[in-house]
Amino acid sequence: MARFLARRLLFACVLVLAVSSAALLLTRLAPGDVTAQLGAFAPREEVERTRARFGLDEGPLAQWGGWLARAARLDFGDSFLYNRPVGPLVLRAAGNTAMLGLTALALATLAGVPLGIFTGSRRGGTLPGLVRAVSLACLSLPPLLTSLAFVFVAARTGWLPAGGMTTPGAADAGWGAWVADVAWHMPLPALALALPVAATLERLQAQSMGEVAGEPFLLAAAARGLSRRRLVLRHAWPVAVRPVCAVYGLVIGALLSGSFIVEYVTAWPGLGRLMYEALVARDIYLVAACAATGGSLLAVGTFVGDVLLVAADPRVREV
Amino acid sequence: MRRAGWVLLALVALAAAGAPWLAPNPPDVRFDDLLYAPPTPVRVLDGGLRAPFVRPLRVVSRVERRFEEADRRVPLRWLTGGTLVTAAPDDGAPLLVLGADGYGRDIFSRLLYGARTTIGLALLATVLASLAGALVGGAAGYAGGWLDGVLSRLSELVLVLPGVYVALALRAVLPLVLPAPVIFAVLLGIFALLGWPIVARGVRAIVLAERERDYVLAARAAGAGPVRLLAVHLLPAAGGHVAAQATLLLPAFILAEATLSYVGLGFPATTPTWGTMLQDAANVALLGDAPWTLVPAVAIFVVVLGVNLAVQGSGRAPVQLDR
Amino acid sequence: MAGLLAAGLAWRGCPPDESPEPRVSVEASPIRGGQLVASIRGEPRTFNRLAAVDQTTDLLATLMQGRLVRVNRATFELEPWLAERWDSSPDGRTHTLHLRPGLEWSDGTPFTSADVLFSVRAVFDPVVGSAAASSLKVGGRAMEAAAPDDRTVVLTYAEPSGPGLRLLDMLPILPRHVLEPALEAGTLADAWDATTPPGQIVGMGPFLLREYRPGERVVLERNPRYWRTGPDGEPLPYLDRLILEIVPDQNAELLRLQSGAIDLTNSELRADDYLPVRRAEREGTLTMVELGVSPDADGFWFCLKPEVKRADPRFAFVRTREFRQAISHAVDREAFARTVFLGEAVPVWGPVTSGNRLWFSPNLPRYPHDLDRARALLAGIGLEDRDGNGVVEDAAGTEARFTVITQRGIGYYERGTRVLAEQASLVGVALDVVPLESGAMIKRLLACDYDAIYMRPLASSLDPAGNPDYWLSSGSAHLWNMEQGKPATEWEARIDALMREQARALDPLERRTLFNEVQTVLAEQLPVLYFAAPRLYYAHNSRVRGVVPSVMRPPALWSADTLSVTDAP
Repeated sequence: MARFLARRLLFACVLVLAVSSAALLLTRLAPGDVTAQLGAFAPREEVERTRARFGLDEGPLAQWGGWLARAARLDFGDSFLYNRPVGPLVLRAAGNTAMLGLTALALATLAGVPLGIFTGSRRGGTLPGLVRAVSLACLSLPPLLTSLAFVFVAARTGWLPAGGMTTPGAADAGWGAWVADVAWHMPLPALALALPVAATLERLQAQSMGEVAGEPFLLAAAARGLSRRRLVLRHAWPVAVRPVCAVYGLVIGALLSGSFIVEYVTAWPGLGRLMYEALVARDIYLVAACAATGGSLLAVGTFVGDVLLVAADPRVREV
Repeated sequence: MRRAGWVLLALVALAAAGAPWLAPNPPDVRFDDLLYAPPTPVRVLDGGLRAPFVRPLRVVSRVERRFEEADRRVPLRWLTGGTLVTAAPDDGAPLLVLGADGYGRDIFSRLLYGARTTIGLALLATVLASLAGALVGGAAGYAGGWLDGVLSRLSELVLVLPGVYVALALRAVLPLVLPAPVIFAVLLGIFALLGWPIVARGVRAIVLAERERDYVLAARAAGAGPVRLLAVHLLPAAGGHVAAQATLLLPAFILAEATLSYVGLGFPATTPTWGTMLQDAANVALLGDAPWTLVPAVAIFVVVLGVNLAVQGSGRAPVQLDR
Repeated sequence: MAGLLAAGLAWRGCPPDESPEPRVSVEASPIRGGQLVASIRGEPRTFNRLAAVDQTTDLLATLMQGRLVRVNRATFELEPWLAERWDSSPDGRTHTLHLRPGLEWSDGTPFTSADVLFSVRAVFDPVVGSAAASSLKVGGRAMEAAAPDDRTVVLTYAEPSGPGLRLLDMLPILPRHVLEPALEAGTLADAWDATTPPGQIVGMGPFLLREYRPGERVVLERNPRYWRTGPDGEPLPYLDRLILEIVPDQNAELLRLQSGAIDLTNSELRADDYLPVRRAEREGTLTMVELGVSPDADGFWFCLKPEVKRADPRFAFVRTREFRQAISHAVDREAFARTVFLGEAVPVWGPVTSGNRLWFSPNLPRYPHDLDRARALLAGIGLEDRDGNGVVEDAAGTEARFTVITQRGIGYYERGTRVLAEQASLVGVALDVVPLESGAMIKRLLACDYDAIYMRPLASSLDPAGNPDYWLSSGSAHLWNMEQGKPATEWEARIDALMREQARALDPLERRTLFNEVQTVLAEQLPVLYFAAPRLYYAHNSRVRGVVPSVMRPPALWSADTLSVTDAP
């Protein structure tokens, strides 16, 4: 177990390093640089100052080396767009993305798994059939479409805020009010993100429940006269949930992927939007930091997924 | 249900293939007076039954997007000018089946032509990724040893990364504005790069298992080299798996194109693709007045639904866990 | 005319009791208190007006800092601000300003002439390298400042200046007691950056910085020591709090305005957005205001740098004014206005539009839509369609085919270039439009690596003397031949001479006559072609009162101290 953990930790570090270095070098090699943001008529001295400030006057490898050395001291450079050190910026954005992702994950699990148990443990019937049809439809609604649709509905009806994370003007009403404000803005993007994932989980769970239904051990338990609920929840589900656990790592990856477009459409101030703007503006240190943070989030997510996988399928431990 | 899925996909494919014939208007013609015009109703009643006709729209207020119908009738023309049906686009009376976009272009025609680009790109990328994945997976599964180790780690790394971000980063570090054919090639490359590990993993597992089977051992004893073994015996065994994976890659690539084009890093806005058409729907405040701009979203939904229906029950993880 | 005379009075210097007081145009009894939410497009990069000159920094300086005099953005009159009156010498070089008594900085320190001296010193300091310095230089040299006592400042210009004291509208007044150490240490350019704790930023503007959350918003609260009072004698501003929400996307901004999440924006509406705003206006939630015709219009020009273009065979006919005049004749400006701006635009033929009331001249040469005349002009310089392919070429066979670069993603540019290309093709000039992202476009603009370009260069000042970079050959914004140093043609030399004279002349009528001549030369030679200027509209939430709309940005927040809301608690 410890070896497994150590391997995953090493993999995570390599991942973060590789991803952020690649992002840094790619941005450096890309055509154009951050001085384009200064506008057409910026004085030459200012352009030169900016180039020096962002290490653009040294070679790409030298810049990478310097960045690594400074990163070891936890100095990740400045952002041009925000004119401040990159660290707190990225951490705050990552926090917002994590908040969104976790909420979506919770929503998807709480909706998808029970529904899957429900439909999987019955044969036929109108309600399971309806749930299955809705699931299939939601499966085919990627986050791009759901977020567009939801923003549209919210804008027309005004039931929920049509974007953003906080209400302008709710400046300093205290911690509790902030939480309530964010909670008010959360349903739209979280639902947009969660809907397809919930449908996937539902389908998966239903499928595996259906497979388990024919197992001999279940038949034996039924013959012992156990109630339907006990059968389903205490005996069938613990087996049927394993494929779902196995897939959780992928789920987290999908949520991270989908969060980009949801953040873009609903103006949620997360990592996705930040990285996009940094890439387009060639704000090099911000790109590297976003990539590193994204990689870390991913590593944490896959680690959790792996833990669940191990819990679900002990055979994996032998690897 | 599965059949319904294949039927949907077949319809979409036919529509895309037949775009030049089905589209009433060319996709890039702008009707300057008809910005955001609503869909043109086709009528048959006008004091009695008549051949299907439309009434031309006249703009009352450009800024307020108000139109009124002129009194004259313009009958639909069938099988003329290389199209199935059209009205009189040269005369200011185009047939706008699904309305016009912000530049006065026919949405329906652009949808059809856009299907060619979007689905064509996704299809090609799927083929490329499948080929690459099959080759790499086959090599890794057959060779074993350090080659297998390296390739497996590599594919693991690519698989772990969230596809959208990698595509975004790779695309963003190129010049932000490129001509459409170049973008096509760039996106093709990026998608294939992201898609091959998915295929490779399954192929590797199958090749690994099949490698020790009798018929393979027999072929090897008969003197077949690795290439022949792979090409003739092992890879075809993985054929079913590759096909199944490929079917799942297709909608993922369609979505990726739509996402990239929507945020402005895909095709240029003048090229009709489902993603660039969605950009018009970005101004949400105006969506209520021109909901027909959301049609590409419906189209994407139809394709993805078709794929999901078609592969349903095949035991694979459904599409939403895509890259 | 009245505005001109009033401005002229201010220039000449008036006896102390006749200074026009700043006009406070508010409604009868505005409610005090409450908060207002405005949107800004860009992140504040710094709170130091000397370090950056972008719109967001400028807006924050307007809200948090004061200045000696103010140019009213609605009437264009010069108003006393921190200086309550002034005298000017007859030669227009020396100005004596008398500061208001009893003014305090937001931290309680008394405001004196030493702060003005410090500010002048800081803006021209070479170590600081402020970009604001160039618009404050007269005759290319810095002004000298002296303070005979605590309430008097004497400014001496290097030469007579037409704009005179109006230049001081661009001079930020900074606190000596806070920033002098930084100036002495040479770090003033880095002072007051985006991470500065709010309490350290001291100013004389109507608002103080309360909080800045990057990516989200800037929160400002009223400055209790603000010097200005309303008509009722009570101190301004009316608002308790002003929140600047950062919304980079114009679509999202419109959505928030519609839903009431923000009260006003800092940019005018796009023509495409009039529909939902008009609807909201009918429902009573938004108020729509016409700002006037935009003072800037989209320009189209070819790169005319001889050093780069000399080898290009097309340069032989591009450099003739007949070629450019032909294109001007070929464009139907009414159709242009209809298509590009949905009809909400007026035709223009020069860079100064009717939106710039003081400097616009209606008597410039115009080029009516006349395709025959255009073709005749082209034939006159040897361009005819000899091979019948629809594109004219010269005797050697060089086609009049050009690529036009423009910034992508901006609807007006894309529509404008499309109309331009269509109309030019009618007389045989082929224009291929290439949209680029802004960084690439700027790079090519600076290097003259383009055939033709279409964009709207924003003038920083309505007064032409405030835009020397555009008009003068040596200017850094001399669009068709950037950084050329010396005039390449006789007419450029003429414009240089006229502009210098105009900047030195004190008589406003003389300045106008000189500038009209400049505009005439430009309209005859057409280095840059202009087609239509949009009518600008602006919308704000109906709960906001006291808005004095201006055709210059920021449309409402330039007069933030007169704003009030109807539902203050």
